[in-house]
Amino acid sequence: MENQATMSEFDSILSSRGVSRRSFMKLCAGIAAAAGLSQLAVPRVAQALEESVIGATSGNLYPVIWIEGASCTGCTESFAQVETPDVASVVLDLISLNYSETLSAAAGHSVEEAKAQTIAAGNYILIYEGAVLEAFDGNALRVAGETGITALVEAAESANAVVAIGSCAVNGGWMAAHPNPAQALGVQQYLEKVGVTTPVVNVPGCPVNPEWVMSVLVDVVVLKDMDLLLNRLNEFNMPGDLFTQTVHDNCERRGHFENGEFVYEFGSKEEEMGYCLYPLGCKGPQTRSQCGVTLWNDRRSWCVQSGAPCIGCCEAKPSDPGDNWVEVNTPFYKRMRNLRIGDFEFQPTTIAVAVTGLLAACLVVHGFGMKISGRMDGGAPFEKIRKWDSKHPEQEIGTYADPVKGGPVESEDLVHKNADPRKKN
Amino acid sequence: MAHLAHYKEAHPLPFVITHWINLIAMVVLILSGFLIHFPFLPFLMGIARGCHIFFGFVLFINCVVRVVMAFFVKSAPTGGTRQQVTDFKTWLPQKDNRHQAGAWITYYLFLKKEHPLGAKLGVPQKISYLLIPILILIMFWTGLCLWGVTMNVPCFLATTNLVGGLMSMRIIHYFMMYVFICFMFIHVYLANVEGFEPTKLMFAHKEHGGLVYDPDLHNIVGEDRDVH
Repeated sequence: MENQATMSEFDSILSSRGVSRRSFMKLCAGIAAAAGLSQLAVPRVAQALEESVIGATSGNLYPVIWIEGASCTGCTESFAQVETPDVASVVLDLISLNYSETLSAAAGHSVEEAKAQTIAAGNYILIYEGAVLEAFDGNALRVAGETGITALVEAAESANAVVAIGSCAVNGGWMAAHPNPAQALGVQQYLEKVGVTTPVVNVPGCPVNPEWVMSVLVDVVVLKDMDLLLNRLNEFNMPGDLFTQTVHDNCERRGHFENGEFVYEFGSKEEEMGYCLYPLGCKGPQTRSQCGVTLWNDRRSWCVQSGAPCIGCCEAKPSDPGDNWVEVNTPFYKRMRNLRIGDFEFQPTTIAVAVTGLLAACLVVHGFGMKISGRMDGGAPFEKIRKWDSKHPEQEIGTYADPVKGGPVESEDLVHKNADPRKKN
Repeated sequence: MAHLAHYKEAHPLPFVITHWINLIAMVVLILSGFLIHFPFLPFLMGIARGCHIFFGFVLFINCVVRVVMAFFVKSAPTGGTRQQVTDFKTWLPQKDNRHQAGAWITYYLFLKKEHPLGAKLGVPQKISYLLIPILILIMFWTGLCLWGVTMNVPCFLATTNLVGGLMSMRIIHYFMMYVFICFMFIHVYLANVEGFEPTKLMFAHKEHGGLVYDPDLHNIVGEDRDVH
């Protein structure tokens, strides 16, 4: 039967890669979850994957260009280190990675030519890793005689979409941290600046989680539905399903937070107990990311499980390189970031306590003044006349015993009118 | 004795109650806020978070109630009188306040020897008190931007993005608390430095005699020795 034949062909592809049917279905479920689809969509995902893989044998792969900007290649590393073949490599086989400085087997002239051909043919996705550098007259990141920014613009203009992976590509990340000598910024902001209108999908993280990149690729490459991807994006063009809840919301140590069980010192008994890392400056409560759900390194572990507080590496506002996660979250082991005036850095608490303390000191000094001037017992005697009134007798506010010298208008009737509790009006 | 008589009419009972609620809510919010900022008493963390959210709402609702009551409840426009006007008028510039801002500032800087004549609330006092509802509103809003339950509501999310993310929001919320602390220092100091009568009146509704002021003549008219 046709159906069985398809199954066996697909199964043979899977088994040739050491993937069981069972782990393939787990992958489909994972992809469906990552793409924000319900479990009911798993068969649809499986079908799409099967068809794409079968399509792969007939050479119908989705072309992808992967350009390194100002990066440490950590995102590529992260992506490449998914070791079990069932997840990334199956999906990677869905795309035709036509150009990648790090991963392409070819080098030099031939790979540059492949890139030029891909751009000329169009209908591809550009993955951009690392920051865009504007300094040095745009001469940074020169590859094959072409500067980094021209390479980006050229590849972005004809792409169906640009996927900015890693926090550096989103808004400069580490590269944009103070004092940002290379004038690093994110892909989206740069493309907007130069008027390239290709949609940008931002996937922050340092490095980016490979499964998040996959979930983006799945929408476009597997489900072949660009709208599916674009509809997922939040106001920062990030997949909203991945970056809406905070790390704190899905943290495995959250129970200890709720119980009030904290680690105050590395190497302590509390750390051994796996308590909450909040007092060690964990940025989980203010970092929107799904780390605790997706996990890292082939779903083995993640920062908090390995004992480190979250350092907020997914914090990245695409329109503002100054809002890079390093600037926002250092020092990592403090509750709040450092503030900066010129080269002077300080904690918010320091300045707040200093100002409040100064005020308290002023009040104490003032109190001595009040004591010395004898005002503590009911204050100084009242002025006989308002200064304004004595200078402007014709526009007087008060009525005085004497219009020039002032003085109270002594009147039993008026005292009675104002002071008698029964005469309340 | 140079102060004006302290009559209940200056602070009618509803305002005594809202003042008590303000005090309790602010103190609990500040203490629980410090605990949340850094859990130095870890076993209280859960209680602190619960109290912080509860009293945040208490403070905000109390503030709204107080502002609304200003349009219905009467209070004395100046010290030293039992005459009353609708309360909100005592918050707007009054004739008694006119041209007296400099007088108050120079008095407190010891550049003026005599106590200025004025309304129930002096000029700097009135301005700073009027900022309090705005401060409470900002605190409430920034608090809701940080609270997990409401942080993703579009209006709060938009505010968070406007100020540059949750870290900035957290710092703003934190700094604003110090503004409250500073206000409380100044408020407690100035209310009591010339005697504890204003505090006794505000908290216990205990009256005290003194000079009698006529709000129509805008001047002192004698002394009330009957109330002690």
